Amino acid sequence: MLKINSLSKSFDRGKTFALKDVSFELEKANVCAIVGESGSGKTTLVRLISGLERPDHGSIELDGKTISSLRKIIPPEKRKIGLVFQEYALFPHLTILENILYGVSKQKNKKERAKEVLELVGLTSLEKRYPHQLSGGQQQRVALARALAPNPSLLILDEPFSNLDAMLRMQLRNQVFEIIKKTGVTALFVTHDTQDALSVADEILILQEGEVIQKDGAANLYTKPNSVYVASLFGNTIQLTNTLQEAFQCPLNIDCCHAIRNENFNINTECEYISHATVIKKTFLGETVQLLLKLDNGEQLSVVTKEKNVAERIRIGFDSKDVLEF
Amino acid sequence: MKKLILLSAIVLLTACKNDKSGNENRPATESEGQVVNVYTHRHYEADQELFRMFEEKTGIDVQVVNANADELIQKMSMEGEQSPADVLITVDAGRLTRAKEQGLLQPIESEILENAIPSHLKDEDNEWFGLTKRARIIAYVKDRVNPEELSTYEDLASDKWNDKVLIRSSGNIYNQSLLASLIAHNGEEEATTWAEGMVENMARTPRGGDRDQVKAIVAGEGDLAVVNSYYIGKMLNSSDPEEAATAEKVRLFFPNQEGRGTHINVSGAGVAKHAPNKENAIRFIEFLASEEAQEIFANSNYEYPVLEGLEPAQTLQEWGEFKEDTLNLSVLGDNNKEAVLIFDEAGWK
Amino acid sequence: MKQVGSRGIFSIGSRLQRLKRDSNRWSIFTLAIILFIALPIISIAIKLCDGPGETWGHVVDHLLLDYIGNSLFLVFFCGILVLLLGVSSAWFVARYEFPFRKQMEWLLILPLAIPSYIVAYTYAGIFDYGGTLDLILRVLDLEFIRVDIMNKTGLAFILGISLFPYVYLSARAFFINQANNLLEASTMLGVGEVKTFFKLMLPLARPAIIAGLILVLMEVLNDYGAAKYYGVNTFTTGIFRSWFSLEEPDTAVYLSALLIVIVFALILFEKWQRRNVEVSSSKSNNHRIHRKRGSKGMQVSILCFVLIPVALGFFIPVLQLIYWTFLTAGKVFDMDFIMLSVQSFGIAIISALITVFFAVLLIYFAKWSMLSFFKNIAKMGILGYAIPGAVIAIGVMIPTLAFDKWLIHFLDDWFNIHTGLLINGTLVALVYAYSVRFLAVAYNPIESTSLKVHSTIPDSSKVLGVGNLKTFFKIEFPLIKAGIFSALILVFIDVLKELPLTLILKPFHINTMAVKAYQYASDEMVMEAAIPSLFIIFTAAIPVIFLNKLLIRK
Repeated sequence: MLKINSLSKSFDRGKTFALKDVSFELEKANVCAIVGESGSGKTTLVRLISGLERPDHGSIELDGKTISSLRKIIPPEKRKIGLVFQEYALFPHLTILENILYGVSKQKNKKERAKEVLELVGLTSLEKRYPHQLSGGQQQRVALARALAPNPSLLILDEPFSNLDAMLRMQLRNQVFEIIKKTGVTALFVTHDTQDALSVADEILILQEGEVIQKDGAANLYTKPNSVYVASLFGNTIQLTNTLQEAFQCPLNIDCCHAIRNENFNINTECEYISHATVIKKTFLGETVQLLLKLDNGEQLSVVTKEKNVAERIRIGFDSKDVLEF
Repeated sequence: MKKLILLSAIVLLTACKNDKSGNENRPATESEGQVVNVYTHRHYEADQELFRMFEEKTGIDVQVVNANADELIQKMSMEGEQSPADVLITVDAGRLTRAKEQGLLQPIESEILENAIPSHLKDEDNEWFGLTKRARIIAYVKDRVNPEELSTYEDLASDKWNDKVLIRSSGNIYNQSLLASLIAHNGEEEATTWAEGMVENMARTPRGGDRDQVKAIVAGEGDLAVVNSYYIGKMLNSSDPEEAATAEKVRLFFPNQEGRGTHINVSGAGVAKHAPNKENAIRFIEFLASEEAQEIFANSNYEYPVLEGLEPAQTLQEWGEFKEDTLNLSVLGDNNKEAVLIFDEAGWK
Repeated sequence: MKQVGSRGIFSIGSRLQRLKRDSNRWSIFTLAIILFIALPIISIAIKLCDGPGETWGHVVDHLLLDYIGNSLFLVFFCGILVLLLGVSSAWFVARYEFPFRKQMEWLLILPLAIPSYIVAYTYAGIFDYGGTLDLILRVLDLEFIRVDIMNKTGLAFILGISLFPYVYLSARAFFINQANNLLEASTMLGVGEVKTFFKLMLPLARPAIIAGLILVLMEVLNDYGAAKYYGVNTFTTGIFRSWFSLEEPDTAVYLSALLIVIVFALILFEKWQRRNVEVSSSKSNNHRIHRKRGSKGMQVSILCFVLIPVALGFFIPVLQLIYWTFLTAGKVFDMDFIMLSVQSFGIAIISALITVFFAVLLIYFAKWSMLSFFKNIAKMGILGYAIPGAVIAIGVMIPTLAFDKWLIHFLDDWFNIHTGLLINGTLVALVYAYSVRFLAVAYNPIESTSLKVHSTIPDSSKVLGVGNLKTFFKIEFPLIKAGIFSALILVFIDVLKELPLTLILKPFHINTMAVKAYQYASDEMVMEAAIPSLFIIFTAAIPVIFLNKLLIRK
């Protein structure tokens, strides 16, 4: 459905690459999340796919048609891609209805289509208002409706929730992806928030400094990250250094890099590898407590536990099945 | 988009056409003899009146481009054969000579002009003709300067006038022509020394126009001002009573009366080389040299008529007669560039 | 992992391939417009190849130092004066509430309506012997104080009081729209007004202020009328002198080239000082400034302070002109005068429309071209502003005459039609020259409002399947209307005031007020110049007031 091959883009004639040799494919009706920190090239990727920017190298295919290559570029207006911007980019001088009608003005049953998507996002009552009269969440949904109205082959959402506060964000995220699933559109969803990605995406693509690090299903990414970086994106991860390995007396393959998730440390329970430690500092975090520990060989370690009442001396350990190997 | 561009082009073209009832921008090709195109540096009300009189008398429409003579000359030389100009009028002979040298004028045969205009006031090849005279004179404040001490232009550069002389900048054509005449009479070297001496004697760095020099001497910034005669005439008859009162306080001195005479310059006209309406152009210049036109020049602009035997304006008569330098005015043009260079070298701003 | 060698991607071959891929019709249109606008400048540049004229050595030996010295003197002192007047008045008007503040807001822009050479004439008239000051002192029975204004210090003063509104406008826009959050933060920290202004506002407003200052300095370097009258030799008077008095266009072109280098240096300096202070302005979550109301005494003193630049730059010259008008009214005012005013007005409107049209095309065509370096190429179109009007006029004559001559032969040979010059000496050439000269004046406000429209807005339109042109008319045009109106007004005023270019290129039977005023003044009939000057001022003042409304509205 969407096929990207060896895409590269540099804004300074090759000194640095915003995107370097990116290739991946996306199946029809799937939702793929693109995760990366700011500056990792997510937005550039989106702009290249939608045709707003032009690649220096590589090609893009959509529905079996080449829409971007070194020879030919289909302009954005002919790509049939829906795009929801981070800033929503609603036309400020047009009403909500006019905004939605904008992309379907050539269709026959445009009025019906507009009503349909408005209903889909549940904003029928607001069609006569102007964008500035709407709340952030409502604007977001209008932007989505506008992008969906022309029935795009691919829907791209560029950091759609980053301008919203935490409560609204969760609520809206679920709403939006319900709508997306309902319409069955193929979607690319760009975010720097792994929580967003894990909860809604069929597949996740990790970008770092313009390169694809890993692409996999959500569960696999969590359990089998292919680098410390990916592992740490999805929760606190502690790298098992040599001194830590000594403290726990776990002999691991020295050619590999090892790490363990914070939550896989067990306190005062039986484990394969165990060390004794002194609690130096306890920080109350609500559901959990963060402990700063001093292991017996002098190494310091910070772990999070649900155990509220821990003694000053504790036993801490983990199992070999939880060790991540890269 | 293309339509828009086209549309605006059409609008513009029609706009140009509409503004003059049937006559095109270059009206001459049909040569119905209905127009004469005048490039003129003069923009006096008197001229407007004369143009109207000419139109009434002959039925020939006078179309005017009004600009600085230098710019007009550039314009004509760039337009070349296609130039619509029939007549070039400037306010000094130097520019006319320059136009002649650049091949922008043509000789004409006109008995009227030959008879009317003294030979030193016209081009030897009849390419241009002087129409009005102005004398470059010394104005002084009577209670500070004894007119007996005044004598010649050359004398102004002598030590006794140190910090007393006011004169405008070297960019001014009247000064350029004055220096050009000094080069012709005394040679380049003496002219240079003169310019340097003048710079020494200046009461202030040159600025403003001729009227400003006159006001400045009355205000006491200096004692002598070198200015064109007609400016004083105009000041005396100014709409501003203050200005007239100022002019009353100065007296005129015509220099070099003992020798070659006071430096004069003319405002004059020539027929353009590629004039589309040559006959009209000649008639036009002949009209300007006619008695009725000359009277208007003299009376409303305080210039001296070139036509001999004509009474100058009342104000001019009060100043009395003077002997004028009969150097052929073509020389002013020949020496102009040299004069400009000398000014710069002497540091005359 | 595969390695993509950056060398492969950026080899000349693949670069050319991308160039071919990414050039579209908009790129070609952009180039066409740039060429059209740059044609006069290119014609002059070609003349540069002829080498300097014979007198170049003479100019270098005797005049160049004077030109450079005076021009720098003017740039420096006029710069300081416009900063003092412009920034302080902008701050007071934006920050404080005082009586007549609303009126002051637009009165402070009005000096822009008076051509600086006219200001120069009026001040010379005021300080003259027997001038207005003299008269007033005599009435009051006081000793005459001779103020010598006709020198370079005086010229810096004149240019300063007539050009400071450029700085006032840009500084005020910053203070009103972008300063509030920081201002409040500073007040909360207990920092006093004075310190807040100097330590916080001034450094922050610097890019805005300098942008206005650059405009002023370009005008200063371009001034001809005032410098000539006050006897100050600058680059521009030097260009006129060597072109016309020394008859050496080649030397004049060399001087122009030097002047352009100076202007370039100014533009680069502006870019450099702006380098770290990007965007931040586009987010409009800043509230408009909250005005402070001081004590009665303070309010009155602010009013008096703000009145100083208004009086200097507007009221005093206008009163002088009105006085002169009383002395000369009957002489100048007649039917011709009404025709003249209609023509001036019409020419200014047509030129403004066409110039703004070109500016919009240039900005948007460059945007639509997918070649990123085209945005920089488009900027070249605005260089005309840096070049003196007279030089542009000559630059316009060279190619239009060549085209005309070709056209005459062409029509004659093929259609047997005999015509004269169709472009030169008509409104077409004049309006063309105005467009070249004032493109920057239109370009800047349009560009800055178009930057305020976030790029995702037109992007969304395109992604929704709407092409560039339709996107422009449906989305961008309604959003940048204010910028387009400001551009129209600014060009209108500039055309109304423009002098040397008009002198050279205007057609027969067409005259403008500026030309008329100059002709009177250059013939030492300054008083007769008063009526046409007043006409320019009042015709320009009305749109200026309107402009103020546009700029204040958000």
